[in-house]
Amino acid sequence: MSHTVETHAILDPTLAPPFPQAALNVLRNPQLRKNVTHAIDVIQGKRARLVAEKTDWQELRTAASAIRTHALENLGVYLEQFEARCTAAGGHVHWAADASEARQIILDILRQENSSEVIKIKTMTSAEIQLNPFLEGQGISAYETDLAEIILQLGDEEPSHIVVPALHINRSQVREIFARRMGLKNLSDNPQALTAAARTYLRQKFLTIPTAISGANFLIAETGAVSVVESEGNGRMCLTLPRTMITLAGIEKVLPRFDDLEVMLQVLARSATGERMNPYTSLWTGVTPGDGPQNFHVILLDNGRSSILSIPRQRQTLKCIRCAACMNACPVYRQTGGHAYGSVYPGPIGAILTPQLQQMQHAQSLPYASSLCGACYEVCPVKINIPEVLLELRSQVVNQERKQAVRFFDPMYLGLRIANLLFLRAWLFHTAQRLGRIGARLVTSKDGWIHSLPSVGGKWTQTRDLRGLPPQTFHEWWAARGKEAK
Amino acid sequence: MSTQGQAGQHSSRERILDRVRAATQPPAAVASDYAALPRNYIRKGALGAEGKLNLLIERLREYDAEVVESSPEGLPAAIAAQLTASGKRSFVAPPGLPADWIAPGFDWKIDRGLTTAEIEQAEGVVTAAFCGVADSGTIVLHHSLTEGRRVLTLLPDWHLCILRASQVVQTLPEYFDRCQQPPALVTWISGPSATADIEMTRIKGVHGPRFLHVILVRDQGVTVTGIV
Repeated sequence: MSHTVETHAILDPTLAPPFPQAALNVLRNPQLRKNVTHAIDVIQGKRARLVAEKTDWQELRTAASAIRTHALENLGVYLEQFEARCTAAGGHVHWAADASEARQIILDILRQENSSEVIKIKTMTSAEIQLNPFLEGQGISAYETDLAEIILQLGDEEPSHIVVPALHINRSQVREIFARRMGLKNLSDNPQALTAAARTYLRQKFLTIPTAISGANFLIAETGAVSVVESEGNGRMCLTLPRTMITLAGIEKVLPRFDDLEVMLQVLARSATGERMNPYTSLWTGVTPGDGPQNFHVILLDNGRSSILSIPRQRQTLKCIRCAACMNACPVYRQTGGHAYGSVYPGPIGAILTPQLQQMQHAQSLPYASSLCGACYEVCPVKINIPEVLLELRSQVVNQERKQAVRFFDPMYLGLRIANLLFLRAWLFHTAQRLGRIGARLVTSKDGWIHSLPSVGGKWTQTRDLRGLPPQTFHEWWAARGKEAK
Repeated sequence: MSTQGQAGQHSSRERILDRVRAATQPPAAVASDYAALPRNYIRKGALGAEGKLNLLIERLREYDAEVVESSPEGLPAAIAAQLTASGKRSFVAPPGLPADWIAPGFDWKIDRGLTTAEIEQAEGVVTAAFCGVADSGTIVLHHSLTEGRRVLTLLPDWHLCILRASQVVQTLPEYFDRCQQPPALVTWISGPSATADIEMTRIKGVHGPRFLHVILVRDQGVTVTGIV
């Protein structure tokens, strides 16, 4: 792993700094914040318009959610069915328990094919297993072909969004990257010209490189088919021209039947890019003689997914179809952008998916990267109750932390233990209230507000004011009122 | 792959499937559970035949696709007019394209095993389609002999697609109802290749055809059972 770490360090959850610390970098970068806000405003506006015109949107969400839940509840059956049908159609199905096994399978296939170069369709799953730096270390050049991914690859940048990964980079920054890396000194910063430069840069690669790697949006158990959703046509190039095609897919991507796409394709593009349908969606089944790659491999990747599946309340995380509507709707993501999440999966879905993929051993700050406002749940086309999972994960983080000896005198855990004692006995609680009222005088200003608390309380008052304590509690008032009545 | 590699593969397969099975309920009633899934979304559109076609035309034009209409008898002339207006000379066509669609006066290569380089050299392509979905302005190709292999409608920069009115449905579920069997190959096309990766500015034409032209053939009254 060590050589892969350097290039992808900021999106490696095992190494990334805690969210609040990582977020500071972005909060101090006005250009980055402007780029992110602009992109999100555009997508959000388009999505809202197109969802509003769909009179059966809630029924589609209900169906999409039910199909995904059903697929996960019967995942073993559907995975075996997919494997059997895909194999019958001429595909090779591989199983990878973790990232390193997946990388090794891909390397073995490329070695068999004598490939020193490979073209890639955008796949977040390959970023999850840090495939590109690994292949590079093995002397294999992997060329990204999605426009945003080319920008990131040539600019040595990291993805900050799962649908528009380069949304944090503006046109003049793209111009600078392309001019430098493609040797085009007179390139303008017009998006049309930049796109044309990418088309020319890639055309020869599409026509000559005989091996391609893709992710999958959907695997169809009924037929063994794979589907990829895209906009530019780079996907179709990779799926059609090479001799050998390798698809890397998480085991959760299975849909029971072909007909289930009638729901998924209606909700995916609307949620992801605010289009009625994305320009190109491809579906293929194993190998078709005379049409497209004649060697086809699918790698089914676990890498932590089966452990998420085993916890019923968290299982819904795997319903995700990677539309990114949650990050576009999230007030936290809007401020911090994607890199702060320290994972290729940012935003609300990343905040629940990443720590779980890490088996709660890393990224424990992510479940707190949310105000629990619920906007993510509201827009999710497969109805993942992200706030519910966030709370569940927070309780797991707390249960981990409170057992750690070093946290014994941590002001927060100390305070909570004391509170626990007080809440158990009424007389102690009332005494504490009276003492607290006296103590609160020390920090309450003349205007009746607390502007600054000492110690761990200071984290709260850093950005908020607290109202001072009232002169009597409700209980005291009630008791006094009773006496007056007599 | 080495024997050892295969053994490793086998054990990972079993390990993953065991974990997946242990994590979920035993699959007692998969089929009946599936049949009971809620599907209360709109299956059939409410528009009449004319409304459906108009919606398709409107949606295709929103995507910058060019749409013209034609009668069944006028189709060969309509195709020839489109080819002429394109200003292009060299075209490829799938092997099953009706002979009277191959307008005289142009350089045609019929795809009976054309090489990628030959297809790349063509300036345009003419094909039929399996279905048109009005709601989303989508053209669906199943890559039959009249629709061509996938590469045929990918490399040429200009795609002329012939769609019959009887092939047009309003909603996406109606398209799925028309598939008697799940197809092995499908491409759903909704407008020309596009990207919005740079500052969310929509740019037409990245890698797929930059120009999508559709001739809508008014063949109402013709029963729809298959393609062209």
